[in-house]
Amino acid sequence: MTINLPGVPLTVADVESKPPPAEERMPRRGRRLSRRRLYLRRFLRNRGAVAGLVILVLLILFALLGSLLTPYTYTDVDFTSLTMPPSPEHVLGTNGTGNDTYAQAVHGLRRSLVIALAVSLLTTVISAFVGAAAAYFGGTAEKLILGIVHFLLVVPAFLILALVSQEAGGDWKVLIVVLTAFGWMLNARVVWSLSTSLREREYVQAARFMGVGSVRIVLRHLIPNIGSLLIVTFTIGVVAIVTLETALSFIGFGVQLPDVSLGTMLSDGANTISSAPWLFYFPAALLTLLTVSMALIGDGLRDALDPTSRSGGRA
Amino acid sequence: MIVVATNLTYFLANSFLDPRANYLQLRPPRSPEQISRSLAQYNLSPDAPLLDRWWHWITGIVLHWDWGSSPVGESVNSQIAFRMGISAQLLLLSLILSTVIGVGLGVYTASRQYRFADRFHQGLSIAALNIHPAVAGLAVVLLAIALNQTLGTTLLFVAGAQSPTVSGFWPLVVDRIQHLVLPTLSLTVISYAGYHLLQRSLLLDNINSDYVRMARAKGLTRQEAIRRHGLRTSLIPVATSIAFAVPALFTGAVITETIFAWEGMGRYLVTTISKNDIHGVVAVAAFGALMTAIGAILADIAVVALDPRVRVTSS
Repeated sequence: MTINLPGVPLTVADVESKPPPAEERMPRRGRRLSRRRLYLRRFLRNRGAVAGLVILVLLILFALLGSLLTPYTYTDVDFTSLTMPPSPEHVLGTNGTGNDTYAQAVHGLRRSLVIALAVSLLTTVISAFVGAAAAYFGGTAEKLILGIVHFLLVVPAFLILALVSQEAGGDWKVLIVVLTAFGWMLNARVVWSLSTSLREREYVQAARFMGVGSVRIVLRHLIPNIGSLLIVTFTIGVVAIVTLETALSFIGFGVQLPDVSLGTMLSDGANTISSAPWLFYFPAALLTLLTVSMALIGDGLRDALDPTSRSGGRA
Repeated sequence: MIVVATNLTYFLANSFLDPRANYLQLRPPRSPEQISRSLAQYNLSPDAPLLDRWWHWITGIVLHWDWGSSPVGESVNSQIAFRMGISAQLLLLSLILSTVIGVGLGVYTASRQYRFADRFHQGLSIAALNIHPAVAGLAVVLLAIALNQTLGTTLLFVAGAQSPTVSGFWPLVVDRIQHLVLPTLSLTVISYAGYHLLQRSLLLDNINSDYVRMARAKGLTRQEAIRRHGLRTSLIPVATSIAFAVPALFTGAVITETIFAWEGMGRYLVTTISKNDIHGVVAVAAFGALMTAIGAILADIAVVALDPRVRVTSS
């Protein structure tokens, strides 16, 4: 029972429906923005998100280029200085076996970043495909996939992660596989619940009647329409994985010596917190900056991509 | 579901953990037969078929409530009973504290939306939410050490649940509190922020609704209208999330218990895995599943208690 008042213009609340190309090409009176510009402008308006992005870029640059600024590598052992506080020779001091803390921190940050980005990317891709496919195919396939998802959600994941990664002996590639294997279920369920409404939409029906293959429909019509959700899931997933990986490494089940991640560095620092606190300060600062910046970016992206966003003012 | 998860963990633990490793380092070295024989008395011998061992184990639980014993013969039952009390002390107090602080801050900031206090606490909470448990715990330790050094006496202990030398009722209580403050503080720091942000956004949704305005029109002050009418509806989802946080706190406490050397359930999980204690691991998994179930029941009770629309009919 809607009343069309003459003065009220129709609002394009539906970001999912793509604007026709003709409108995209010619901006009406310079006021209509393309979708990308709109997102960018909304994101830039969020000061916290921009700060997060700057911090993250700096961190990535540091992880990539930081090793150029020091003569040591993370495995180098300097027997003349064991557990030394910061000095001109070792900018951030050394640990009990004579490793340079700065070189280790660069390597640990790189390791943690690689693991988090890879796992988050993989889980997002898997959950998107599995969730959308379950919703699209329906019937027995849907029941089966949801059954598996629910079962895996009940299984004590943290315990199995610890069991398997301990068995792997701290290899970071195995850790990526294991974290992915137990990380995709919850997202898949969210994607599924969103896709169930999408599969009834006209363009999906139309594609089906035109004889487009089912895999193609899932990839071309379902997944792009939950893209904004997936981007946000990816950023928030990075935070979760960094936390999980460092927690596992901290208690000794994740990345293990001789390899170094931020978690193992923290556990190093924890053992000598009163005698050698410099082993703790730097990795702790890096880790906090990493998680907080990713969380800020995730918040900003969610506000920018959300079609019902109330992030204010002229969009 | 608890039963399925527990049995699955039993088989997984059996395939990943090898209790024979515990005996390999003993001097004088033992032959494989001797190791198998001493493991056989604890129902852990790898020579016996897995299904036989499983049957023995499950009948022990069902008939005698005996969860088996570790590879060196300690009873899992007594370990769990002892550690459950320690974990409960730590978790309950910090759960209550973080709930009170979180909900209180949520109400406070929601009624001052976009003013300085709101912005300030929101920024603080975003940072606190994304601080790693290990970083929070170690930072608290550093602060406590600095405090103890300035005071000249040990006011707050950074390790253990109680001192072994203290006796008498009141000295014991004081001693317990001295040990409890720091881990509780660090757990509260990492968990209050989630409740704050959730409570704030939910209350903001409700604060402008008709029934709150109605309450204002009846003559209640703004504070009272928010507290008596707005808060009650918005507490429901918060209560649900708190109830489900019980098992999450349990894994989060692994790190905190490690840092503060509390021999609670989280610590038990780590030691059982690293000591190849199959029965202990399975018992911890069952405990976690039980906690999840209890959390779900608590959530239901909270909804019934808070939501006047949900009625429990006794037919």
